[in-house]
Amino acid sequence: MATEVEVTVVTMRDIFQDEAGRKSRFSDEYRDQSAQIILDKQDLAKLGAKDGQKLRVLVKNDVGSVVVAAKTSEDNPHPGLAFMYNSPWSNQLVSDAVSESSIPGFKSIKAIVSAAEEKVTQISEIQARIKG
Amino acid sequence: MAICTGCSLLCEDIEAAEKDGALTHVKNLCRKGHGHFQAAFTERTVPMIDGEQVDLDRAITKAAEILKSAKSPLLYGWSNSTLEAQAVGIELAEKLGATIDDTSSSCQGILMERILSGKLPTCTLDDVRNYADTSIFWGSDPSSSHPRHLSRFSYYPRGEKRQKSYEEERTCIAVDVRKSATANLCPNYYFQVAPSGDAQFMEAILAVLEGKIPRVGDKKKMIGLGSILKKTEWGVIFAGLGMVYSLQEKMDLFEKLLARLNEITTFKVVPMVGHYNMRGFNELLLEKTGFINRVSFKDGKPAHGPEHSVVAAAKTCDAALIIGSDPFSALPFGTARALAKVPLIAIDPRRSLTTDGAKVVIPSALSGLEAGGTGVRMDGVKIKFEPIMKSDLPTDEQILTRIMEAI
Repeated sequence: MATEVEVTVVTMRDIFQDEAGRKSRFSDEYRDQSAQIILDKQDLAKLGAKDGQKLRVLVKNDVGSVVVAAKTSEDNPHPGLAFMYNSPWSNQLVSDAVSESSIPGFKSIKAIVSAAEEKVTQISEIQARIKG
Repeated sequence: MAICTGCSLLCEDIEAAEKDGALTHVKNLCRKGHGHFQAAFTERTVPMIDGEQVDLDRAITKAAEILKSAKSPLLYGWSNSTLEAQAVGIELAEKLGATIDDTSSSCQGILMERILSGKLPTCTLDDVRNYADTSIFWGSDPSSSHPRHLSRFSYYPRGEKRQKSYEEERTCIAVDVRKSATANLCPNYYFQVAPSGDAQFMEAILAVLEGKIPRVGDKKKMIGLGSILKKTEWGVIFAGLGMVYSLQEKMDLFEKLLARLNEITTFKVVPMVGHYNMRGFNELLLEKTGFINRVSFKDGKPAHGPEHSVVAAAKTCDAALIIGSDPFSALPFGTARALAKVPLIAIDPRRSLTTDGAKVVIPSALSGLEAGGTGVRMDGVKIKFEPIMKSDLPTDEQILTRIMEAI
C-alpha cells in the first residue's frame, strides 16, 4: 500500500489562477493552475518524491477525492499542513456539514494524501460527480 | 474612464477605448481585471432549456414557470449584480415567498454583519490613504486577491497626512498561516499563526497590550507588535477570509480587540470583500428586512437564520435561481450536488459549471462592461458606472423584471 500522509488543507487565492478562471473554467490553463496541492518538503519526501521529481497525488477524505499535482512549499517547514487553491478541485473535499455559523470549512479540510498513478482529475469528471 | 467590476475595489481609473462596440485598448487594469475584461470575449452563454438553444423569451418564460410552480424556491448569488438588479431580486423573493441568500453567507457575512451594525469601527479606503500609518493584513492577501489595494490605498500612495508614505510613514503587517505574496512585502512584520489560531493570536495581542507575557508566538516579536500598535496614530485592519473562517463563532473576540485598540489610539476595520457588489446586497437586504443575508419570505414576513443559508437551503429547496455566481465551482461538493438535483435557472453572462448543470440558462450583459448601474465598494462607497461596450443582451435587472412580470 502506498504511503499515506494526513494533512489539513488550507485553501488560498492566487492571481494567476484567478485570471485563468475568469477567462475559462474549462481550459487546460485553469486546470493546471487549480489542480495543485502544496506540500511540506518532509511530507513530499514521505510520499516518495525525489528532488525535482514531479509527483501526482490522490487527496481524499470522507467527502470526496481528487488527483492533483504536488508542489513543494517554499515556506518555513509545515509538516501536516498543505495548501490548495480555492477551486472546484478543493471543493470536492469540503464538507457541507457546517458549524454553528453555517460556514463550510474551506480552510480546514482534513484529508489523506498518497502518490497516484492516475491523471489529474478533469473538470468534466467533477461535473459528472456533481450531476450524480 | 471605465470602472472595473473585477473585484470590490471597483477601480475607477480604467482607460478603455472602444470602436464599433469592441474594446481596442485598455489601460490600468491589474491581472485580475485583465482576466475580467477578457471574459467578455470568451465562454459567453446563450439562452438554453435542457441543453438546447432557445430564444431569450422562451428561456425567461420557462424560468418564470419553474419559479411559480416551486413551493420553496431559493434565489442565490447576487454579489456580481448591480444594486438596481439586487433590488428587483429582493422584490422577486418577496413575491415568490422564496429564500434569498448571497455569497456572503459562506464568505464575509459574519464580519459584514458586525460592520454594518456598527459593532466594529470602519472607514473608507480614502481615509486609509490619507491617514493610515499602520495597515494590518490579517488573513488577507491583497497582492493576490485585490492587486491594486496596496498601490491605490493601503501602502504605497501618498495621502493627505502621509506624504512620506511607505518609505517612512506606513507600516505594513501581515498575519497569516502562510507567507503570502503580501507577507513577502513586509518580512519583518509577518506573524505566522497556526491554522484556526487567530483567536489565540488575538488573545496574545490583548495580553501584550496589558503588558503581560503572550502565550503564543515569539515573545520578543509579540512585544514588538504591541509597541507598534500602541505607537500607531491611525491604524486599519484589513480582515480577510483567513481570519473570518478561523474565528467563526469567536468573532466577539475581534470586537474586544478593536475596542481595546481604540482605547489606546484609532483603529478601523475594512472587510476584504471579493465580489464587486457583495456589500451592496448586504446593505440593501439589511435596509429592507433587517438582515444582511439568509432570509426567507415563506411566511410573508422576512425570517432569518442558518436554515436559510445557501448550504442548508440547497437541501430543502425545490427550484433555484442562481444569478452571477457559480456555486458548482465555489461551494462544497454536497451543496453543488443538492442544487444539481432541482430545476436550476442560471442567469450569467458566462459559461460556468453551474450554467452547464442548469435547466434554464439566461445570458446577461456584463456589469461595468456592457451594463451600467451602481456597486458598493468593500468600504461602503457607492460607485456608479456606465457601459463601455455595446451589447444587445439584457441586464440582470431587465431579466429579473421580466421574470417577475411573467409570474
